[in-house]
Amino acid sequence: MKLAKYTKFREEKFGGVLFETRSEKVYSLNPTAAAVVREIAPGVDEQQVVERLKARFRDADSALEREALTFLADLRQKGLLED
Amino acid sequence: MTPGAATDPAAAPAQQPAPPAQPAPPAETGSSDLRAPLYVAWQVTNECNLACLHCIEESGPGKAFRDELSEREAFAVLEQLMDSEVPYLSFSGGEPMVHPRFFEMAQYVCERDGQLKIETNGHYLTPESCGRLAKLGVKAVQVSMDGASRETFNRMRVRGDFDLAVAGIRRLHEAGVPVEINYSPTKFNVHEIAAAVDLAHELGAYSFYTGRTMYTGNAVKTWHLLTPSEDQYGAYFATLHEKTEEYRGRMRVYFHEMGLLEELRFRLQHPAALLIVLPNGLVKLINALPFVCGDFRRDSLSEIWANFQRGWQDPRVRCFIEELATDSHKTASLHQWVYL
Repeated sequence: MKLAKYTKFREEKFGGVLFETRSEKVYSLNPTAAAVVREIAPGVDEQQVVERLKARFRDADSALEREALTFLADLRQKGLLED
Repeated sequence: MTPGAATDPAAAPAQQPAPPAQPAPPAETGSSDLRAPLYVAWQVTNECNLACLHCIEESGPGKAFRDELSEREAFAVLEQLMDSEVPYLSFSGGEPMVHPRFFEMAQYVCERDGQLKIETNGHYLTPESCGRLAKLGVKAVQVSMDGASRETFNRMRVRGDFDLAVAGIRRLHEAGVPVEINYSPTKFNVHEIAAAVDLAHELGAYSFYTGRTMYTGNAVKTWHLLTPSEDQYGAYFATLHEKTEEYRGRMRVYFHEMGLLEELRFRLQHPAALLIVLPNGLVKLINALPFVCGDFRRDSLSEIWANFQRGWQDPRVRCFIEELATDSHKTASLHQWVYL
């Protein structure tokens, strides 16, 4: 999966922004949401993103996994993510 | 996890991914939190093949600024913008496609993964240029189409040719370039708005935008010919509401009913993460104000960006906007720049 064609990501001190340039909508991301977006890359699926995050952050109660999957589904639903 | 916490790192637990905030225009993102603008609108030249009645830039044949950026200076600006990861640029004018380095500049932005929109009058959209724009992968080409007939279009766009612009739009679409249409209302073209939206869709546009015509630039001299009555505006926006619904899911129809004063009062509280670059490298706070917050010949992007933030707090800016409430003709002097 990858960011959609018209979606740009930029890191910021507060985390990051996703800018959908067709609609000119801006989404502000906190540091952890930005960390999820950084793991998005061609050939990487949702579960692999979670695995990469779990390698970097503690996730004893699987909250990280749930939240990351929800977040990625939200991005996909908004058209910000594509295969 | 609250959307409002998204711009406050301290408010978000480090191990909890948070969803993005609800979509917000750059203005609502809090541009002062950003390290660089998200959008740079660059008027690459003031030269234009047309002399439109309403042109806010007073562009036209022979109207290039005497001090426009040289090729070397223009590419130095582009390099800074790309190095700073400005994700989105537009080239406008004047007519950007008459700039001698137009395609090279567009190529530079696209090759560095910037998203680029071209704002053109559509008179240079030959098969060859449409093919080049498609190959470059520009985000979109926005064509001004202020009429659904050659009578109204050609009246508004002095020296313009409706048929040439329409043919150009068709070629863009056929070449696979995303097309946006822009429409400026006047008393003699407001009645064609429904037909214009329909035509835009037929021509393959994915987006149609309009708003109130501004009292500045050439419009100051031609206002008596241009300005629609409030009744005309009422009918105009009512039609646009209907067209928005009619084309939902097929073409984005959007428009701003807000007058300039309301818009500027909003911007005062919520500056957009947007810089307006003039052909000579000066940077304006916003197009509808005369204030200049930087000069690319002298200042770095980070200095300009910092001055942009300070500029919106400047009492002269607030004062100018409030004076517009009692003197709407103040915008007539937008081209008498005030340096902040």
